[in-house]
Amino acid sequence: MAQTEVAPASTDGRFGPELLVVEDLKKHFPVTRGIIFQRQIAAIKAVDGVSFSVRQGETLGVVGESGCGKSTMARCVMRLLEPTSGRIVFDGRDITKISRADMRPLRREMMMVFQDPYASLNPRKRVGFIVAEALEVHKLGTETETKRRVQELLEVVGLNPEHYNRFPHEFSGGQRQRIGVARALAVNPKLIVCDEPVSALDVSVQAQILNLLKDLQRDFGLTYVFIAHDLNVVRHISDRVMVMYLGHAVEIASRQQLYSEPKHPYTGALLSAVPIPDPQAGRERKPIVIEGDVPNPINPPKACWFHPRCPRFHEGHCDVVTPELTSFGNGHVAACHYPLERWPMTADEMRMASQTSSAR
Amino acid sequence: MALLDVKDLKTYFRTDDGIVKAVDGVTFSVEKGQTLSIVGESGSGKSVTCLTVMGLNPKKNTISSGEALFKGEDLLTMGSRRLRQIRGNDIAMIFQDPMTSLNPVHRIGDQLAEAVLLHQDVTKKQALKRGLELLKAVGIPRAERRMEDYPHQFSGGMRQRVMIAMALVNDPDLLIADEPTTALDVTTQAQILALMNNLQKEFDSAIIIITHDLGVVAETADDVVVMYAAEIAEQGSVDSIFGRPHMPYTWGLLGSLPRLDTDLERLVQIKGQPPSLLRPPAGCRFHPRCPYVMDICKKEDPPLKPVSGDADHLAACHLDEETKDREAQKLIAGTLAAAS
Repeated sequence: MAQTEVAPASTDGRFGPELLVVEDLKKHFPVTRGIIFQRQIAAIKAVDGVSFSVRQGETLGVVGESGCGKSTMARCVMRLLEPTSGRIVFDGRDITKISRADMRPLRREMMMVFQDPYASLNPRKRVGFIVAEALEVHKLGTETETKRRVQELLEVVGLNPEHYNRFPHEFSGGQRQRIGVARALAVNPKLIVCDEPVSALDVSVQAQILNLLKDLQRDFGLTYVFIAHDLNVVRHISDRVMVMYLGHAVEIASRQQLYSEPKHPYTGALLSAVPIPDPQAGRERKPIVIEGDVPNPINPPKACWFHPRCPRFHEGHCDVVTPELTSFGNGHVAACHYPLERWPMTADEMRMASQTSSAR
Repeated sequence: MALLDVKDLKTYFRTDDGIVKAVDGVTFSVEKGQTLSIVGESGSGKSVTCLTVMGLNPKKNTISSGEALFKGEDLLTMGSRRLRQIRGNDIAMIFQDPMTSLNPVHRIGDQLAEAVLLHQDVTKKQALKRGLELLKAVGIPRAERRMEDYPHQFSGGMRQRVMIAMALVNDPDLLIADEPTTALDVTTQAQILALMNNLQKEFDSAIIIITHDLGVVAETADDVVVMYAAEIAEQGSVDSIFGRPHMPYTWGLLGSLPRLDTDLERLVQIKGQPPSLLRPPAGCRFHPRCPYVMDICKKEDPPLKPVSGDADHLAACHLDEETKDREAQKLIAGTLAAAS
């Protein structure tokens, strides 16, 4: 399916030029059978045609259920996985096909913060080494300069510079995630891809890391691609949000638009499922329960990927014609034949609306 | 009489480094048909409290004291034979991680039937039938066929449903759920919470739900216990905890939460880390992280006492009522102002 329309980045002047442009990115993992002669019998379409762009200084939040391809998308953008097809333009340069050697100097401009602060730090290396490694790889500075820089970084992320010689196990989860952030910052990157950086942390520690990321963005003009499954967290940190489902971007909008007037029924269902920490409002809340689980990406549903679970499903349309990303103004795009007319909406309204509009 | 009455419960673990006071004097009770929620950071003693009540701590190196009266019987001093009769039958537990708490080499159906066979005088066939009923009740599609499947053939949400089905198979009077939705996506979480709510209505069971998600607490709980460093920091009805929180730690928890209904530029953050339970700080255990710390906090551990005008709402804090009311209102007004 052709889905090449690039979602226009937000138009307000707060942000710089487009730093990262991704066009029709696809990543299919082959499923093989046979021991000596392996033949491909199917493909897992982990990412299947995602287009977006991020401007300098902006934070793009990416949300979706587990298995929707968020992390695979991030790894393709970082060129940690080879994309099957599509185009990735970073800072005006097409990096989709460039060699490892050519990629190497670019690596210092795009760094990553990983989900699990327990697994992403080498337990046998001291913190000083972990943070300094990128500096040494890129041959930035002498030994004394590197040491000074690392201590400075530890201080920036709110750790004691004297902990330079400690091992990761001597730190708590939140402190480890700070080390991960310091490591990403070491080489002054332009873009940081954060893959679920706070989902393994307690709420109080989560708040510390979120505040830290915001402060660093303000101080160093960083650009983030922030992946999370927690809609509250994404809303807090993002300027624009992309909702992914089964390897596709189903809706991209500014934070304000996405959370106040979602167009895609999937976004609506996600929003309505978030518990509100207020006993009165919470008890009155009626989540739009979408049935079942995310379908198997080996054999995804035909046409609209969401139709088997969608409350607004129209037989003969949604399961036949693939919806394209269509614009709702101000850079708000969604891929749905029957977008939501208003928000909030109850499950019944969502369904009834679908019956009345089926006449067209 | 309450269904479960826990009085001054203490659980200490002997370790090589000394004694870890994992639970240090916790008192609460749960009534039939009610939901109690225990909240707090990791390591605050939430899970150990429930494991102690269930008698699931390792015998060696554990020292427990206090009382846990279930329908008048003390679970802590009861013989292991009687405890086995109660566990899985009258009290059931849902564990946090659905990936590791099912046996990977047995079929789901057999695992469900085992729970029935242990406690009821029925044939294997009847037990399987009962298991199937529950599997249908928790909303697993094509349940007949899924009975034959192994745990790895289920997704995370489906496995958690199987765990719930297993816990409910003997219609327990008390269900203890340890972070039942933490590993799940919001959409699945909404399904599971709705399911637990329906089952509670149907069987009038009591539920203890352990979680660190305050959104889940607000929507499911009748009463809330806030734990900090092995002690109760504050407890009361859900409306009083959210509407008139009386302890700086609770303020921190509420303020540190990014939420859909408000727009805050910066989150309130509780500085520092939870203390080590090997050597908890003297005086109030929260004082090293508390922004309102006074001299007395460093010396005297504040008792858990009722707040003025609400005998059921207890808080352990030295701050005077006036300051607490003012600060709590400020916090709530802050979030509300941002919402409007």
